[in-house]
Amino acid sequence: MNNEARQVILDSIRGHLAASLPSEPQAFANERPSEPSLPANVCGLFKENLESVAGHCFITTDVADVLRQIITDLRVQRIAISDAPQLAEFGVLPGADDIFNFDVGITTAQAAIAETGTLVLDSSCERNRLVSVVPPVHIAIVPASRICATLADVLAILQSAPELSPVITFITGPSRTADIELTLTIGVHGPKELYVIVDEST
Amino acid sequence: MKVSLFVTCLVDQLWTSIGVSSVEVLRRVGCEVEFDRRQTCCAQPAYNTGYLKEARQVARRFISIFEESNADAIVSPSGSCTAMVHHYEQLFAADPEWLPRARAVAAKTHELSSFLIRVLKVEDVGASWKGRLTWHDACHGLRDLNLKSEPRTLIRNVRGAEFVELEHADACCGFGGTFSVKYPEISVAILDQKIDAIERAGVDAVVSGDASCLMQIGGRLSRKGSNVQTMHLAELLSRR
Amino acid sequence: MNHLSSETFRENARAALADVHLRGALKNATSLFGERRKSAAASLPNWEELRNQARAIKDEVLSHLDKYLEEFVRAAESRGAKIHWARDAAEANAIICGLAAERKARVIVKSKSMTTEETHLNAALEAAGLQVVETDLGEYIIQLADEPPSHIIAPAIHKTRGQVAELFTSELGMPPTDDIAQLTSTARATLRDRFAAADVGISGVNFAIAETGTIVIVENEGNIRLTTSLPRLHIAVMGIEKVIPRFADLDVFLKLLPRSGTGQRLTTYQSFITGTKRHATDEGPDDVHILLLDNGRSRMLAHPVTRQSLACIRCGACLNACPVYQQVGGHAYGSVYPGPIGSVITPQLMGIEKASQLPYASSLCGACREVCPVKIDIPRLLLHLRGEISERKGSAAERLAFKLWARVMMSPALYKMSSLVGRVLQRVMPISRAWTSGRDLRPIESKSFHELWSDE
Repeated sequence: MNNEARQVILDSIRGHLAASLPSEPQAFANERPSEPSLPANVCGLFKENLESVAGHCFITTDVADVLRQIITDLRVQRIAISDAPQLAEFGVLPGADDIFNFDVGITTAQAAIAETGTLVLDSSCERNRLVSVVPPVHIAIVPASRICATLADVLAILQSAPELSPVITFITGPSRTADIELTLTIGVHGPKELYVIVDEST
Repeated sequence: MKVSLFVTCLVDQLWTSIGVSSVEVLRRVGCEVEFDRRQTCCAQPAYNTGYLKEARQVARRFISIFEESNADAIVSPSGSCTAMVHHYEQLFAADPEWLPRARAVAAKTHELSSFLIRVLKVEDVGASWKGRLTWHDACHGLRDLNLKSEPRTLIRNVRGAEFVELEHADACCGFGGTFSVKYPEISVAILDQKIDAIERAGVDAVVSGDASCLMQIGGRLSRKGSNVQTMHLAELLSRR
Repeated sequence: MNHLSSETFRENARAALADVHLRGALKNATSLFGERRKSAAASLPNWEELRNQARAIKDEVLSHLDKYLEEFVRAAESRGAKIHWARDAAEANAIICGLAAERKARVIVKSKSMTTEETHLNAALEAAGLQVVETDLGEYIIQLADEPPSHIIAPAIHKTRGQVAELFTSELGMPPTDDIAQLTSTARATLRDRFAAADVGISGVNFAIAETGTIVIVENEGNIRLTTSLPRLHIAVMGIEKVIPRFADLDVFLKLLPRSGTGQRLTTYQSFITGTKRHATDEGPDDVHILLLDNGRSRMLAHPVTRQSLACIRCGACLNACPVYQQVGGHAYGSVYPGPIGSVITPQLMGIEKASQLPYASSLCGACREVCPVKIDIPRLLLHLRGEISERKGSAAERLAFKLWARVMMSPALYKMSSLVGRVLQRVMPISRAWTSGRDLRPIESKSFHELWSDE
């Protein structure tokens, strides 16, 4: 696409670099900086960090039961689900035009990060992209075994796939803004509430 | 230990007691002090305003004078001027003749509190001053020379002085060299934050390691009719 | 839009200093952001190591920018993304307008992108008859108000809730309220209609990974996720300096950016987008286009001192730390990039003639360098630019003054004489008058230290 501009820009880059002195040398190591070690209890740490950003976290071996309870407590009618088989009984797969008509979206998560309380959604594994962001409430189920200690761990796992997924989303709590007078408001464009159920049975 | 005093043009013209006190303190801790009367300026004003050719001229003169000294150290009562000498290697980065000479002089050049604490390992110079005081961290001394604990250690050993840590002690006073006169309203707006903190600290004096900051702060304090004194670290340390 | 000009910084600043509301808002914002950044940095014992690593990565990329850009383009294209190159703002805007017009786009949603503000994209889209709406709350507010952003992270920080409420009442017919949650809901409801109807979504890019062709975009509100997943076409706009080499490098940058910008461990959402979807029936846009913008960046590669300007990850930490920004705010700089980083990149991007006051609008305190996650030596850059300006555009009077100054400093005899002259003329010199408007002037001593020493 627009090869002339491409050539001009690349030539400009090369020309200016060639004309200059090199930067003061810095160590460009292949080593990662040393990481502080994390406690073994990744579930507990995940829960603590998620709750610190106003997310709700339940650790359970009976996911269906907790899920039903959350839905009941929310008193909602219209529930959208991703195409994860375990969710089939809980709601409907949204069509192209009605994604804005739901009160709750339920998905699973492909991984999570304990050090930040973050969910990792891989949209090539599950149709979770819109269901996890459009409805004002998002409920996500993540297997305890998929909770990694650190962000670096998750990046490595994501990259170990034969090809990196087209869309990966990290979610850390409900949506928020402080754009007006720096006052924190939870719930802007993304969900206002995030519930995560950690499935200890798998 | 023989010390060559780099008094700075600002102290020389506008605040001689800082120079006099520095000499006194250095002698009190056992140094022989020489003063090369050829010295004028370290070139900071030209360097900071972007007049590099003029800065280099004056810097070369500084280097030529001080490299002749057989003193063990060149000591200055100014963090910013000391930092300027340390920046000579940027001025002469492309000059194979002057770069090593600049580096050699810089290696011997120390700010006063740094010299006392880091070189002489002296923390108590036998000073006394009664009253409540606070310290303003001058920017170049703090960020270029890493002077933070050194002045505080020296002050804490002044008998009779009650030291109070200033809120945002490390916030700029707004001087910034020619900035203070190019953008005087902004300079004073920044300064007023510092003045507010000083007033809240309820002190008799504010001490700093740079005459420029003290002129800025003192100039506003006196305009506002305040009784808070400004004192250079050397002046404080020279008191008995 | 009523942009203030960078060339009238002095007047802009004066007006800002007189604005009590603005100064209060700035004080709150900068001190809050500053404290949060400080705690967030302190909570990572390897913070300094991370900064060094980030800077090393950036230096590596910038020293071989052509190679990494080509690698990024190859990888992204292999995954179905379409790449466009734009030499300057006009070309970027033309390409984007063309893409939108081709789609017969009726509704365009946009998420926050400093790069598109730099090119004045919205004005170009509107001139082409295309409607575009900003979806980031702060950007939406300033779009309604027809103002430029005043802060890199919080663009509407200069507005009180009352001002926002008035705006929403007059522009959106909202019933009057001062409640921030209500204001946010109003914005959300209004923008949801736009999201639902959008044909095109335009976003920025925080990081572009050469190794995988991935673009990474970070946010708190969710509008980026909606902008990049609902419309059929997603256009991502990035400066050419946004490339980083490897996917694994994200760990370093995702630790530094949120902490430096807002004090968060992580912002609520990160989107990692690599090319287009695999199947037509998958969610998301049919087409992903990435626009690479030069607009003066490649020129900055020519000198190691200026090259580091391109390491900036747009966190805004330097703004919050800057005593000048804290007093005058972003609008005074007359640029989409205000504060310390703005003072160095605006003259370089726009040309020194258009922003020659900015490099002098600093006390050189170095607070910015201290907080910069990629260790850009902004004071050094400012001095470099001052050197260029004094050579090319300096005032004749000032040049003469420094020539004389040098003469005096080179000669002990002239130096001695100057103090005699100074003692007499001190009070009437223009420099003194600028000083004494707010401060008392210390008189030149009747005997210099040189003279006292001679007396001894």
